[in-house]
Amino acid sequence: MTTVLPAAQPVSAQPPDGGALNRARLSLSRFRSGPWLLFWLLIVAILVLPIALFLLVAFSPRLLGQGAAWFTLQGFRDAFTGTLLRGTLNSLVVGVASAVVATAVGAGVAWCVLRTDVVGRRLWAGSMFALLLAPSYLIALGWERLLEPAGVLELLGIPATGLRQAFYGPLGVVIVLSVKGVPFAFLALSGALRGLGEEFEAAARVHGGGPSAAARVVLALLAPACWSAFAIVFAESVSDFGVAATLANDAHFPVATFTLYNAIDNFPVQFPVAAAVGWILMALAGLALLAQTRALRGRSYRVLGGRSRPARRLRLSRTAHLLTVGCLLGLVVVGLGIPSFGAVSASLIDGLGSLVGSHRLTLTNYSRVLHSPALRAPLQFSAELAVVTATVTAALGLVAARLLSSRGTRITGRVLDLLLLTAVALPGIVFAAGYIFTYNLPLTNRLGVHLYGTSTLLLLGYLATALPATSRVLLGSVSQVQESLREAGRVHGSGAFASWLRTVLPLLARPLVAAWVLTFAGTLLELPVSQLLYPPGRAPVSVGITKALANYDYGGGTAMEVLAILFALLVVAIVWVLFRLLTPAGWRRIGGTR
Amino acid sequence: MSKSLRLALCVGTAVSVAALVAGCSSSSGGSPASSSAGAAPSSSAAAGSPAPLIVYSAQGYDAPVTKAFTQATGIPVKLVDDSTGPLLTKVAAEKNNPQWGLLWVDGDTAFAALDKQGQLLPYTPKAALTSVGQALVPTDHSYVPVSTTVMAALIYNSARTNSVPASYQDLLSSQYSGKVGMNDPSQSGPTYPFIAGLMNQLGGQSGGVAAGEDYLKKLKANGLHVFPTNGDTLHALETGQITYGLIQSSAAAGEVAKAPKNASFNAKAAYLPQSTLLPAVIGIDKAAPPPVRAEAKKFVEFVLSPAGQDAMLKGDPKGDSLFWPVVPGVNALSDLPSFPSAYQKIDPYFWGPLENQVNTFFDSTIK
Repeated sequence: MTTVLPAAQPVSAQPPDGGALNRARLSLSRFRSGPWLLFWLLIVAILVLPIALFLLVAFSPRLLGQGAAWFTLQGFRDAFTGTLLRGTLNSLVVGVASAVVATAVGAGVAWCVLRTDVVGRRLWAGSMFALLLAPSYLIALGWERLLEPAGVLELLGIPATGLRQAFYGPLGVVIVLSVKGVPFAFLALSGALRGLGEEFEAAARVHGGGPSAAARVVLALLAPACWSAFAIVFAESVSDFGVAATLANDAHFPVATFTLYNAIDNFPVQFPVAAAVGWILMALAGLALLAQTRALRGRSYRVLGGRSRPARRLRLSRTAHLLTVGCLLGLVVVGLGIPSFGAVSASLIDGLGSLVGSHRLTLTNYSRVLHSPALRAPLQFSAELAVVTATVTAALGLVAARLLSSRGTRITGRVLDLLLLTAVALPGIVFAAGYIFTYNLPLTNRLGVHLYGTSTLLLLGYLATALPATSRVLLGSVSQVQESLREAGRVHGSGAFASWLRTVLPLLARPLVAAWVLTFAGTLLELPVSQLLYPPGRAPVSVGITKALANYDYGGGTAMEVLAILFALLVVAIVWVLFRLLTPAGWRRIGGTR
Repeated sequence: MSKSLRLALCVGTAVSVAALVAGCSSSSGGSPASSSAGAAPSSSAAAGSPAPLIVYSAQGYDAPVTKAFTQATGIPVKLVDDSTGPLLTKVAAEKNNPQWGLLWVDGDTAFAALDKQGQLLPYTPKAALTSVGQALVPTDHSYVPVSTTVMAALIYNSARTNSVPASYQDLLSSQYSGKVGMNDPSQSGPTYPFIAGLMNQLGGQSGGVAAGEDYLKKLKANGLHVFPTNGDTLHALETGQITYGLIQSSAAAGEVAKAPKNASFNAKAAYLPQSTLLPAVIGIDKAAPPPVRAEAKKFVEFVLSPAGQDAMLKGDPKGDSLFWPVVPGVNALSDLPSFPSAYQKIDPYFWGPLENQVNTFFDSTIK
């Protein structure tokens, strides 16, 4: 790591008292390294140690009391046989397919919303955020309610056998994961599209290029965001647990996350096998990162500068308009309409368990849940944790994204990149188990660290699961900000912080709010980490929902779910309204959906 | 490192640390659990007040029971109430430094394994047990059965069928082809004891695994449906995907009691010989500090007392409270039929270690 002096100081000038100044400089450099050190210490504490200890069990179960062998490869042997191997291969195929589809669809949506005059642009952009709020298992269950035997379609007299056979398997899993991945791709690509301006297309056209040449230029400049979208959707897909535990499981289509979960959620608990599957998932994420790195090697994509101007919108013809709205509507129906229908219908049916017979529509479940202590206190607890997690994650995510996009810190940047992508690829239960291994060690306790069983550890667990995805979402926008902007501020007399506030923050305010919202919503209903790390007596809302569903209270469980999602939507709406009301017009104008 | 990166780093880290500290202080400050659960329970005992007893439980009635226990004894309880799977995962992950004082879940195979690992404190409660209860007590008294259910109850939709099988062999006939569903043993805790019970019944400890696998293959050939857990199998029954489901007796009795009855759905339950006992079991952490172990023993005594049994029976009357008591003089809830006459108890020390092998077979061959 190098220490850079402020530009205003003459580096070569020799002061009268050189020794004293050097000592002062040394002290200053140590001081300056403090935040850097703190950042890495935090990364080590919340990501490296828990992941490393969990993965270590694959080789040395005895080290953490999980077997008799000090060194063994048995976990890997098991992971490469039977259902476990099938799960890994299925995850690979499903991950690639959903990443490709989501990136393409996300790019399409971003283009429509930001570069055309399609009607309802705010609605479509808003629906992307709404999609982020919907847990993947909810999307999958919504489809299941529709297609299952004696499900809604069949009750309506529509034969669903063929569609069910097609959907209950890899196709359905890819569709749901793609739909879930589209908002990630949209966020990554829309940030890049916003900053791109129109000058590059204009330049291509001025030099004789047709529309296809201009499109090639734009696509080439969007490559970091495209690869970022692909990598994050791939990693999110292979680490997804919601679809794995519902649709994939019901279709007897094993995927790696569920085989990992099965290895440690049932008796006998097999941490070494789960850790071996974790290594494999990590390798899959590494492949995505490798592809991204090789594709972008040696190129600069910094396009957002002081001369960037918002692009003009393409005026769609009537036919194109209809077609575009139809496609966007289809996406919203597939991703939001059907799951919402599933959840809402489930929560409104008295004594749910089936959709046959005379089960009447009622608000009993809501009334029961609203008066139940199982909802209010857990929801408040989850909301508090989600607010803190979102705030910390947005700040740390910004730092991480800046580090990743920095060309001067290649090694640390790549290490961090690998680490974050690895973390995205590992399911939450890995973190949770790793946190228990790390923070419940007798040694840790002897060192005076008593975090296990506290809200603090749960918070750190949330942070660890949220940070990788958030920093990658921010990466697209952060990588576009040119240094010259901030340097121009310094030249005009602003201090370092003031120039950052005036030049960089306005450009990143919108992505930062988006990252906050994304993290808040994701954390509010997070399950695997909550389940293993919640402090005794203070269950988060997701644990309460799961408990209700496990006790066959589908009506109550889904009512809690719907209320929690409505609460999340309310918070999101408030945040965006505040953003509109409190921020200067220029902050909102950059890339805003008009 | 460039200046802007350093600046971003300073700002980001400062905001993060500030928010984290604020969050931690608010969350830990507001939670009595958070301040002491990670520390050794004995520390608070040293201060004069009783150490909290940390109870890991998967029982639907555990919250009212622990509340009643605290009221009766003054001993504070911190309840970690979750499904059996996550609780056993926590117990396994904490093996180097256990935090639980008492574990209370259905099924004794996990307890047999914990006993073999030396994690359980043997204890013989003062309360007498029925003959069924006594049959469930291990020879070394390493855990305590406090109630029992059975695997499996055959729940069926009587609105769609009049045929009720009399034995497990009957389910192999064409009459039941494509109509039977059961849970996945790798996801449903009570289902492995059911399969182990079938194997025990069909071939004993010597030839049971092979005989059981053969039976399951035939059942699959006859169109067996496999669903993840009790709830999913019940859902399949209600939506007409199956007509017969093999699930835990408490889930079946709960469904019969609470599911709306109409022309297309009317759930009833039958018990095929042999029903395998699936007890609710309490184990005490051997590594817990002595005061906590003493509290755990008091908890066991309370659970087996009339007041404890009453709290268990009233705590979840349409769910887990539908058990058969193993304490003399305590009656089961009226929604539960009389205890099946043809029942068996399997040896958890023999069948427990086979669980992974059998589940792998089921996963690859039957599912």
